[in-house]
Amino acid sequence: MEAASIGAHPAGSAPHEEHHHGPPEANRSSRVEPQLLGMLLFIISEVMVFGAFFTAYFFIRVVAGDPWPAPGEELPKIIAGVNTAILLSSSFTMHWALESAKSENRFGLQAGILTTLLLGATFLFIQINEYVHVGFAPQDNAQASVFYGLTGLHGAHVAVGLTLLSFTTIRAFRGHFTAAEHRGVEVPGIYWHFVDVMWIIVYLSIYIV
Amino acid sequence: MLNPLRSEAEAFRFLIYVLVTAVVIAVLVLLVRAVF
Repeated sequence: MEAASIGAHPAGSAPHEEHHHGPPEANRSSRVEPQLLGMLLFIISEVMVFGAFFTAYFFIRVVAGDPWPAPGEELPKIIAGVNTAILLSSSFTMHWALESAKSENRFGLQAGILTTLLLGATFLFIQINEYVHVGFAPQDNAQASVFYGLTGLHGAHVAVGLTLLSFTTIRAFRGHFTAAEHRGVEVPGIYWHFVDVMWIIVYLSIYIV
Repeated sequence: MLNPLRSEAEAFRFLIYVLVTAVVIAVLVLLVRAVF
């Protein structure tokens, strides 16, 4: 990418750390690192996708006034509650991993990231098991469709997060991360906390309220 | 201002705030249902 302006910065440098003249470098934010910006925009778009599914939930429950859950159906609140605790724990271990990365604690980083991955996989396993035993199918009624839609959408996001965490775990065990350079832990960490926040809202809406 | 998309630390703090808020809402809803 050619620099179009006078005094433009070499590729990869952070513009805000040097004096620069003229307009900012093309296709680069002058404030946010590209990797962080990519995840930021992705999360914002995914929040909108969740918003669309929550709109369907809102129309069924509030606008149409359908009973929740549908008559004859029961939602496994306790199991989902345990699953919530598991996912919340995984956010704590993720935070531990990142703080360890920042302080060059290699054991903490590796243990934290591996535990996060395992807890996340456990969550997904329990979710799939719940689908097997819940007693209704997504095509049975509107409430079931929304239940599977919202929890399934979240499960898909967990799967994506587990993919990111797999890469991060492998890299952590290969010693790729340092206190100065740990973006590969930070960016998946932000995504993982987003997944956890969405689950809290999904759990509250679907199982509790 | 807290920006959960700026860093992992802020995202984690945001998660804690959301968790606390959710617990408060859940307790209130369950209390109201129990009373009425």
